[in-house]
Amino acid sequence: MTDATLDAPAASGSSALGKWLRSLMPALLLALGLVVFWEVAIRLFNVPTFVLPAPSAIFEALVKHWKPLLIAARATSLEVLFGFVLSAIVGILVALVIVRFERFGRALYPLIVLFQNVPKVALAPIFILWFGYDLAPKILLIVVIAFFPVAIDMLAGLQSVEPSFVSLMRSVGASKGKIMLRVRIPHSLPHLMAGLKVAITFSVIGAIVGEFAGANQGLGYVIQFASTQLDTPLIFAALIVVSVLGLAFYYVVELAEYLLVPWAPKFDPIHSAG
Amino acid sequence: MNVRVMTAAARSAMSAPAAGAPAPAHIAARALAVDFTVEGRRQRVLNDINIAVPKGSFVSLIGPSGCGKSTLLKVMAGLVPPTEGEVTVAGVSPLEAVKARLIGLVFQEATLLPWKNALENAAFLLMTADETIKRADAYDRAAAMLKLVGLDGAEKKRPNQLSGGMRQRVAIARALALDPEVLLMDEPFGALDAITREEMSECLLDIWERTHKTIVLVTHSIDEAVFLSREVHVMGTGPARIIETLPITLPHPRTEESYSAPGFATAEARLRSLLIESHRRDRR
Repeated sequence: MTDATLDAPAASGSSALGKWLRSLMPALLLALGLVVFWEVAIRLFNVPTFVLPAPSAIFEALVKHWKPLLIAARATSLEVLFGFVLSAIVGILVALVIVRFERFGRALYPLIVLFQNVPKVALAPIFILWFGYDLAPKILLIVVIAFFPVAIDMLAGLQSVEPSFVSLMRSVGASKGKIMLRVRIPHSLPHLMAGLKVAITFSVIGAIVGEFAGANQGLGYVIQFASTQLDTPLIFAALIVVSVLGLAFYYVVELAEYLLVPWAPKFDPIHSAG
Repeated sequence: MNVRVMTAAARSAMSAPAAGAPAPAHIAARALAVDFTVEGRRQRVLNDINIAVPKGSFVSLIGPSGCGKSTLLKVMAGLVPPTEGEVTVAGVSPLEAVKARLIGLVFQEATLLPWKNALENAAFLLMTADETIKRADAYDRAAAMLKLVGLDGAEKKRPNQLSGGMRQRVAIARALALDPEVLLMDEPFGALDAITREEMSECLLDIWERTHKTIVLVTHSIDEAVFLSREVHVMGTGPARIIETLPITLPHPRTEESYSAPGFATAEARLRSLLIESHRRDRR
């Protein structure tokens, strides 16, 4: 009896891992096929490296410049980290303020939506002008770009609580603050995590854009520097590092979601569309 | 034959207190009216409601959708303020009754917290209402109530591991954990399948017979109302009011067999004709 119950999760766990790997197989095969096709096409048509480098040339650049790329990645990571955390804090606060102070919220909300329509990338030069080439303008740019999905999703979460739940709390004399703390905020957490997942990808974009506008370090700086040298393989190498970095950040947030809100509905991009 | 004798006996037993001095109402509404403002227009949702629910009774409110039966329940629960007239619960206003923790609520949706298990959910409202209660005491009480609703053994299960009927049992246990004097239920079994409904009706009846809470049930279901109640208030629309109050004289304890008792069919038929009549008038 005990043995059976002990065995069951272990068996299902290993088969789940196998299933996951098998489900990943088609994507891996497709990616491999594309890379091979790319390599063959470049060699076949003699495409100049400065126009489009072959995957082998990109890999070579990656190996050759690993140290400056690592230093640049660290600088960018720092911006992303600070910017993301600040975006999360600002987004959450905005949502809480809008819900808690209804009248003020009604005034604030349209302004935020209006501001969202300002092309944030165009703000980068202004921030550089104001704050110089340091960390500050990049972080500010990230916050301006990434707080919005956090605020909107958190807001949706706070307002998604069933009215009967609020009635139930009121029927035992619970105050607004208590309802907020015990019911609304916990209920909004799955929504908040969805917003944070969008925000982390926006944060990486914000950091790179900030570095484009003016920086002396970071992956965005490397990309810009390499483009002035016509070192296309280095551009692609930096792009790969940015992508890996973004993916890593994304999965850290996903892991946090899994640990903090295990009851959150799981998102299945293919089957949810069907 | 036997059944008929029992019915007659019960009828005389039931009418005895009514003939004497009427018991003081546990929940009472006098000339109650409620207006809502919808898109700037004032609308009368409830009009001239007079109702008296004796202590320890089981009363149903039945009527077509939009007749205001849920609103009446919300007024009793202190969630909607009366525009005119007066409502008392245990002799005080609904808001004071809320403060004194006299009211337990159950809705159509179980509204359980998805991140808490059955036991924590059952204890949740009690711990919200009474900040000073010790966690262990609240859990003990919640466990006892889960047992009462037939959920012992499922304490550790999360809402997504429970069936619809079981979730609703947790919701009832959560209301009972407050040890309220009155239980107000708004279509609590409305989202359940027919068999689960009947099971839940029997469960609720059992709870009522054991705890002697005053229960007000809002329902769409005629046989649910007949099976459970001692009195059914039939409500009609335009303007929303109580058309008729029908005493249900089926003997207690009621069981599965009560459905086939002769009094059951009579009461059912009477309710049906009242509802159809109100529906027709409504359409005209």
